[in-house]
Amino acid sequence: MAKGGGGAMIGQVFSWLTDPAHWRDTALDTGITTQLLAHVRFSLIALGIASAIALPLGLFIGHTRRGTFLVAGANALRALPSVGLLVLLTVMIAPHFHGRTDIGYVIPTEIVLVLLAIPPILSNTYAGVDTVDPAVTDAARGMGMRGRQVLFDVELPCSLPLILSGLRSATLQVIATATIASFVPLGGLGRFIYDGLQQQDYPQMIGGGVLVAALAVTADLLLALLQRVTVSRGISGRFATKGDAPAGPIEGAITRVEVEAG
Amino acid sequence: MKHKILAGAAAAALALTLTACGGSSSDSSSGGTIASSFIFGGPAEFKTRTDGIPGLAEHYGVSFGKYTVTDTGGPVTVNALKQGQIDAADLFTTDPSIESNGFVILTDPKANFAAQNVLPIINKDKATDGVKTTLNAISAKLDTAGLGALMVKVVSEKQDPDAVAKAWLADQGLDATGSSASGVKLTVGSANFPENVLLAQIYAEALKAQGADIKLKLNIGSREKYVPALKDGSVDLMPEYNGSILQYLDAKATATEPQDVFDALQKALPSNLIVLDQAEAQDSDAIVVTKETAEKYGLKSIADLAKKK
Amino acid sequence: MIAAADSPSSASSSPWHFFGYFMDHRSEDLGWLWTHAWLSVVPVIVGLLIALPLGWLSRRYGWLYPPMMSITGLLYTIPSIALFVLVPPLLGLSSLDPLQVPIALTVYSVALLVRVVADGLASVPDEVNQAATAIGYTRARRLFTVELPVAVPVIAAGLRVATVSNVSMVAIAGTIGLSNLGQLFQIGKDLSTPTAYYPPIVLGIVLCVLLALVLDSVILLLTRLATPWRRAVAAR
Repeated sequence: MAKGGGGAMIGQVFSWLTDPAHWRDTALDTGITTQLLAHVRFSLIALGIASAIALPLGLFIGHTRRGTFLVAGANALRALPSVGLLVLLTVMIAPHFHGRTDIGYVIPTEIVLVLLAIPPILSNTYAGVDTVDPAVTDAARGMGMRGRQVLFDVELPCSLPLILSGLRSATLQVIATATIASFVPLGGLGRFIYDGLQQQDYPQMIGGGVLVAALAVTADLLLALLQRVTVSRGISGRFATKGDAPAGPIEGAITRVEVEAG
Repeated sequence: MKHKILAGAAAAALALTLTACGGSSSDSSSGGTIASSFIFGGPAEFKTRTDGIPGLAEHYGVSFGKYTVTDTGGPVTVNALKQGQIDAADLFTTDPSIESNGFVILTDPKANFAAQNVLPIINKDKATDGVKTTLNAISAKLDTAGLGALMVKVVSEKQDPDAVAKAWLADQGLDATGSSASGVKLTVGSANFPENVLLAQIYAEALKAQGADIKLKLNIGSREKYVPALKDGSVDLMPEYNGSILQYLDAKATATEPQDVFDALQKALPSNLIVLDQAEAQDSDAIVVTKETAEKYGLKSIADLAKKK
Repeated sequence: MIAAADSPSSASSSPWHFFGYFMDHRSEDLGWLWTHAWLSVVPVIVGLLIALPLGWLSRRYGWLYPPMMSITGLLYTIPSIALFVLVPPLLGLSSLDPLQVPIALTVYSVALLVRVVADGLASVPDEVNQAATAIGYTRARRLFTVELPVAVPVIAAGLRVATVSNVSMVAIAGTIGLSNLGQLFQIGKDLSTPTAYYPPIVLGIVLCVLLALVLDSVILLLTRLATPWRRAVAAR
């Protein structure tokens, strides 16, 4: 069952991934293309909802310095085991849906993904606005800017690097956790991991792992690019002549460290 | 430049979302049989197992329109069948949900599914005469109906498997204390599904009553995990199903009748393991549909699924 | 014995029955809790031991810092379940080797802690280092008796994040058949027919959260014990 040599296995995984038949849907199997799109869809929905909640909330808390307990509360959510929450919500919600639909599994999955995505976005947005140099906001007020202008024209652009790195770490979390949605069971790239394990088809299982990792790395690179083009050069310190290395993907995690320690 | 990249990224994201939402079902199969309009639900490995989808095609010419991975005879499969997400499912014959939901088991006249008699698989060195007698006495009393009744207690009524095991032994007059297994140290293991845990508890409690020194390792996982553990001696005794363990040890095995399976198993076992007497109780795979589906299409046997609609 | 089987308490599906469920399955649950704790802590300790020299190197030789951060950042990007299944073939282990989870979690801990150690060492004020050098400390002695102790609060914060996220990731490993608190979720799911059976699921969540809180508090306490000067400063 367990094929010994790592080299042989890597070859088998490669041929699993490059076999066009595995990318197409058949009566028996759902192909990589469909599962990849499903994975991206679950992740985008969750990130959209989480951003819609956490961004305004973080800006509000950072700007007004009110309700900071919410940030601490959201951070405590991290101690919840995501897979346990997923199973709990699934057995609670899934039996209420009838007919040819997987919505009963989609809803619990999206709830868990949103809960996971909120803490990094919220705490980074809050920390971003909170750590804007008071001299800068004072200067803005001195120029006659109102509260709203200060928030959107000064505090938001200045905190954008931190906000985006929060979004990056949320994206990584969501893509990783969408994989375990296949345990409840739902489509997505996790299907290959769990199915491969059950079928003792290890090239499929590891191929699924490679696909998830590749998706996560791609998403992270896209967001890094977004960070590069949207962050004002006056803030990133990156001028045309000097190419500074972009912040690594774990910056968000470290910011959390600082927020929690602080 | 900046805006171009942004617009491009946004367009790509939008396109991706739209395709993802749009491209769901396009039924390409056009066999015209009842099965070809059905969505089938079962565990992933049923797609590739010899007695799974390939076996159904070979024996009955049945091929389903679509396969949805649910779970291994668990609540996901049961719910999906009950609520119409799937039309036919792979469940286990002792599952109390079949009766409580009025599901219909399609008969298997061509014996696609091998016999699945319950039997203990044990390390040769630990199988003393006392241990053998104790376990054989259990197998002699265990029948399919009895096992089904125990499963109702464990699965539907959520009673503790250990308590159910003790109560059953007492009912069967198998709880007499003695010393026929004293001095034997045994690690009893189980796979990670409720029925197997229950059977392991029955073995463990009976041996304990006979003076054996028992350690439990329940919910070890699937065969890929516990068979190696049996081989290296970290587990001594497990409840098994003769057809499945034979299939695991010898993928080319063809035996389907209880006695044939049992005989083939003797040859396939690793040298340090033996199996004891098998019980009459069986827990095999079955193709199950809802009562409404069975009536609508006049389904009685798996072969009926291959009929034209 | 028979009475126990018939008692209604063993059949309750209420979420609040998780404590009764725990009492009924104590030895099993405690065994899983123990494995879970072990799997959550050991990778962080091993990860720290690997990250300390790497972090020090990338602090000491500035040119190492950017590539080191890119590599560890990339490793941190890989989802845990993917890493669990990728570890065995990459290292030539059998597909169900018991070491696969500890190794994968160690990789995450290293990825997180290298940056933390480097940044922690960078947080030591220059005056402190200059003072130590001025009173004749060798470079090694300065590292172990001055720089590392001063960096403890930053490193400890990283350890807390690594440990708490490990608790959740170990539970994920439970869904691919490894014995830890994640098994409680599998059991709850298996018994959720015909209606939801909450006790094992809720128990699993409660034990995971408690474990995370306890481990977090232990690290906080150890940090406090290791940095007596912080309290002295605070008291002043």
